[in-house]
Amino acid sequence: MQNNDDIVWSIINKSFCSFKVNTKTQKFCRHEYNLTGLCGRYSCPLANSQYATIREEKGIIYLYMRTAERTAFPNKSWEKVKLSRNFEKALQQINENLLYWPNYLKQKCKQRMLKITQYLIRMRKLTLRRQKKLVPLQRKIERRENRREEKALIAARIDTAIEKQLVERLKKGVYGDIYNFPQVAFTKALASEEVQEESDDEREEEYNEGGREEEEEMEEETRAALEDATEYVEAESDDEDMESDEEHEFTDEGPEESEVEDIEDMARPSTSKGKKSKVSVEYELEQALPEKTKVKN
Amino acid sequence: MASALARPLITVYSEKNEKTGTSVHLPVVFKAPIRPDVVSFVHHQMSKNRRQPYAVNKDAGHQTSAESWGTGRAVARIPRVRGGGTHRSGQGAFGNMCRGGRMFAPTKTWRRWHRRINVNQRRFALVSSIAASGVPALVMSKGHMVHDIPELPLVVSDKVQSFNKTKQAVIFLRRIKAWTDVQKVYRSRRLRAGKGKMRNRRRVQRRGPLIIYGEDQGLKLAFRNIPGVDVCSVKKLSLLKLAPGGHVGRFIIWTESAFRALDAIYGTWSSPSSEKKDYNLPTPKMTNTDLSRLLKAEEIRKVLRTPNKRPVRAVRKLNPLRNVRAMLKLNPYAAVLKRKAILTIQKKHLDKQEFLAKKTGVPLQKTKQQVRYEQLIQKRKEAIQKSKAAKPKTAKKAKKAPAAK
Repeated sequence: MQNNDDIVWSIINKSFCSFKVNTKTQKFCRHEYNLTGLCGRYSCPLANSQYATIREEKGIIYLYMRTAERTAFPNKSWEKVKLSRNFEKALQQINENLLYWPNYLKQKCKQRMLKITQYLIRMRKLTLRRQKKLVPLQRKIERRENRREEKALIAARIDTAIEKQLVERLKKGVYGDIYNFPQVAFTKALASEEVQEESDDEREEEYNEGGREEEEEMEEETRAALEDATEYVEAESDDEDMESDEEHEFTDEGPEESEVEDIEDMARPSTSKGKKSKVSVEYELEQALPEKTKVKN
Repeated sequence: MASALARPLITVYSEKNEKTGTSVHLPVVFKAPIRPDVVSFVHHQMSKNRRQPYAVNKDAGHQTSAESWGTGRAVARIPRVRGGGTHRSGQGAFGNMCRGGRMFAPTKTWRRWHRRINVNQRRFALVSSIAASGVPALVMSKGHMVHDIPELPLVVSDKVQSFNKTKQAVIFLRRIKAWTDVQKVYRSRRLRAGKGKMRNRRRVQRRGPLIIYGEDQGLKLAFRNIPGVDVCSVKKLSLLKLAPGGHVGRFIIWTESAFRALDAIYGTWSSPSSEKKDYNLPTPKMTNTDLSRLLKAEEIRKVLRTPNKRPVRAVRKLNPLRNVRAMLKLNPYAAVLKRKAILTIQKKHLDKQEFLAKKTGVPLQKTKQQVRYEQLIQKRKEAIQKSKAAKPKTAKKAKKAPAAK
């Protein structure tokens, strides 16, 4: 009953419509079956009992039609026609189904169908390309994890572990005679190491008594001795050693030395801060060494 | 809308959403004019009737014996509290600007809280809102989720009236597909914005379907705990329930007995209401409101005069004494006169020059225009002579002819 349409429109337009969205420049309609998406007298699905739309579900385009007789039965009001995938055939189908319908609806249906087919094509193209998957980050969690990482890094005390490892290797004799330490300092260091190990065991027993300070001092000395020791690295005199150990040196020395360097660099501030070492050590950059080996060849 | 002939049959649905065999004629109420302005007005007036008065204490701010210190004390002249020994002494009192003073225009309990509305207006609004509830578009525009219900207006068998368990009610609503509306109510539950929160109006939610029954056999108990659902008897319809917020188009579920009772309660145009004294449905201003159809109708077009597709617009008046074309419009001969005048001027000018030339003996150097002008005059002369020569011949011929006859 088109009688109703005019009344409905005058009510909807002037007072309240739950689908209307008002912006500064335009009025939009949020109704799912709206043909244009705008709020207007002839595009309002509520104010036109004879109405048609094009909608797309899962890539298939349908034509929906409603006539005045069926408006009283909301269940059955929309008639659904599947449109052909061929665009021209679909246009013909629209023409067939909407024959004798007002031109406005026909035009808008065709335009909407065109838009829909275009965006479907685009979607299909996009899926063929590399799909960037957007993963949302949760700020709270990210921040928390970062902080924990930092703390774990500090707690791990990598530098000390590396130092220990290197000293062990030294003791074992992995490096052979590469490094020339003054004997005295070397033996002292070893001795203090052993003492340290013992004292570590004792520590657990004597924790309360606070025998820490002595051990700290011991550690200081050993540290200082080690540092002094590592300072005295010289260029090798023996050719034989050099020839045999060249490659080894390249691969082994470089990282290890740099590690040692790094360790010492790390150790230095920690010792200076925490344990107030009296020894101030200077370091040379050891990049010169490998060159020397090259020259020798 | 008011075509009294079109009274469709509404099928009654069972509580399981099946069509029972019975169907009811649409009550004429649903054809009444829908007047959102009347509904809005009446609703706003009605909603004021449930208010409780509020006011400040009548003594507030005046329970002091303050007196103004007058001039000469280098202080403002506001009345000040007497005495001494406390902070309060010497402070301003009584004014609305003073701390602890009475407010401006203290609110009184005898404010006019309630409004009376004419009975007919009330009934008009009610009838309008019932009519609007029968239009699916209006119900949808109000926001009710009615896209899956079988028919509008929705009439259900009387079995619903004997429900007494909420479970039954919920199952019924689910079957009829009215449950989506209730779900919308659930989703719309939120806290009120503003101070209402601490004034016992904390929570807000949407309105759901309204169930109108003929006889309560437990129905109220079944439906009252479902959020958003309201229940109402046909005999006691209220505008505040039929058009909540002053907007028409609430989703109503009628029971069969309620639906059948409507004609008796509100009457049809041909017969007045039997339940209400002296009441008949309001007559609409237009019986056929389809404007576009009316304008294309033969009966109307026959009576109209032909349309004027080219309206004559007012033309600006141009002064003929100043505007040549305007002059020519009025007097075409003016062209001849003007031309003659111009030519005589030119001739005279030329003659004068020739005369001077003769006198002084200086040969006249004629401008191109003057040369042309002379040629023009020559041509004209020749043309005139030619036409003169031609004319007497025709005149003679004409004379000869009658003479011959």
